Amino acid sequence: MRNLLNYILRNSAWFLAFLLIAFSIYLVFKHNSYQRSVYLSSANKITGEIYRVSDDVSSFFHLKSNNQQLLERTAELEKVVQLLKTQIETLSKDTSAIVSFTIDSIQPAQFEFISAKVVNISVSKFNNSLTINKGSLDGIKPDMGVISHSGVVGVVRTVSDHFSVIIPIINPKFRLGAKLINSDNFGSISWDGNNIEEAQLRELPKHENFNENDTVVTGFSRIFPEGIVIGYTKDIGVSMDDNFSTFNITLATNFHTLQHVLVIDDKYYHERTSLEASVN
Amino acid sequence: MKLDYLYEILLFAILILLQVLVFNQISVFGFATPFLYIYFLLKLPMGRNVFYVIIMGFLMGFIIDIFLNTPGINAAATTFVAALRRPLLRLFFTKEEFENFVPGINSASGPFIRFAVLSVTIHQTVIFGLEAVSLFNINILLLRLLASIVLTLVLLFALDSFRFKKFISE
Repeated sequence: MRNLLNYILRNSAWFLAFLLIAFSIYLVFKHNSYQRSVYLSSANKITGEIYRVSDDVSSFFHLKSNNQQLLERTAELEKVVQLLKTQIETLSKDTSAIVSFTIDSIQPAQFEFISAKVVNISVSKFNNSLTINKGSLDGIKPDMGVISHSGVVGVVRTVSDHFSVIIPIINPKFRLGAKLINSDNFGSISWDGNNIEEAQLRELPKHENFNENDTVVTGFSRIFPEGIVIGYTKDIGVSMDDNFSTFNITLATNFHTLQHVLVIDDKYYHERTSLEASVN
Repeated sequence: MKLDYLYEILLFAILILLQVLVFNQISVFGFATPFLYIYFLLKLPMGRNVFYVIIMGFLMGFIIDIFLNTPGINAAATTFVAALRRPLLRLFFTKEEFENFVPGINSASGPFIRFAVLSVTIHQTVIFGLEAVSLFNINILLLRLLASIVLTLVLLFALDSFRFKKFISE
């Protein structure tokens, strides 16, 4: 017994190191489960605050290009507004007299969008993530979809009061149902870890027609509305088996310069998930 | 002696902020990211208490992890290097140089470079190994590993020689 104690005392530094490494590795594998503690992520108060300050400084240098993008976006939306205005005018000419019908004709929107700013993003690792400056106090919940002005960004994973961590497309754990815009066959999007400008569209049937630069959009998904742009097909990739084909796609979102995102608040999300869960 | 500890804590904080706000945004060709915070462990006086080194190493990795959303990965790698520090030092430096001697590129370039290369290689290998558990693309992994090691070492030696010059001029 005494010898054992002596032995432990003599090598106690190694034991301490061993314990700490064991604890770290425990954290690594715990991290693989879907929900994690908010306190050990960049969504907590201190780390979030430091990232916010640093982002305030760096975003100043992007003001010009961001303004440009916003102007372009405004122009696009303006066009749509004009179009809709003329449509409403033509429609209301006949029906405006019948008040009883018009009360119910405007349904509450299914989707609402919460705008947020990216305060931290990592693009150089395998398990990439990004942090935004809105949290549960702004109505953000885990599993909400996130898009940018050009396309899909990712899914909300962890939420604290003022910050949220998002799993982007460029994370090997990310999966999303998708299809080519002119087709009805569904596949799934995943990322192989090589290039943050590309992802893979897998599990499409072999007979699927393929043109370069076809638009890839979201398909059946609980998280995203249908038809949001994910990227554009680039070439045929390596397939895991013979029954399905795989395409390399260029992502619509540029993660190098990503600054502003929209979080999708689906009003029917809980109704739908609980209904689908009740069937199983 | 007390000033030494103060200086170390300052270096600790500065390296964490630099790593999180600057170095982690660097991604040369999408492959190489420098992990310079390990510099803290290399620059401790050689005779420093082993427990102190291990605990500081763990804390440093742990804080970096919290910032980067990778719980455990950096902590494990840094603790590992901290534990191996004493044997590695014995390997490259003679016994007389121990105690308060701080290894540096200008004071002991040969041994320090060998010591730094081995430490950084071990550190990066553990980080990439743990990070890639779920991904099996060995070529890309090795390319990333090698590129990151080289970039880290280049920046580390540059940082070290820069600090020394400033020290003299004061």
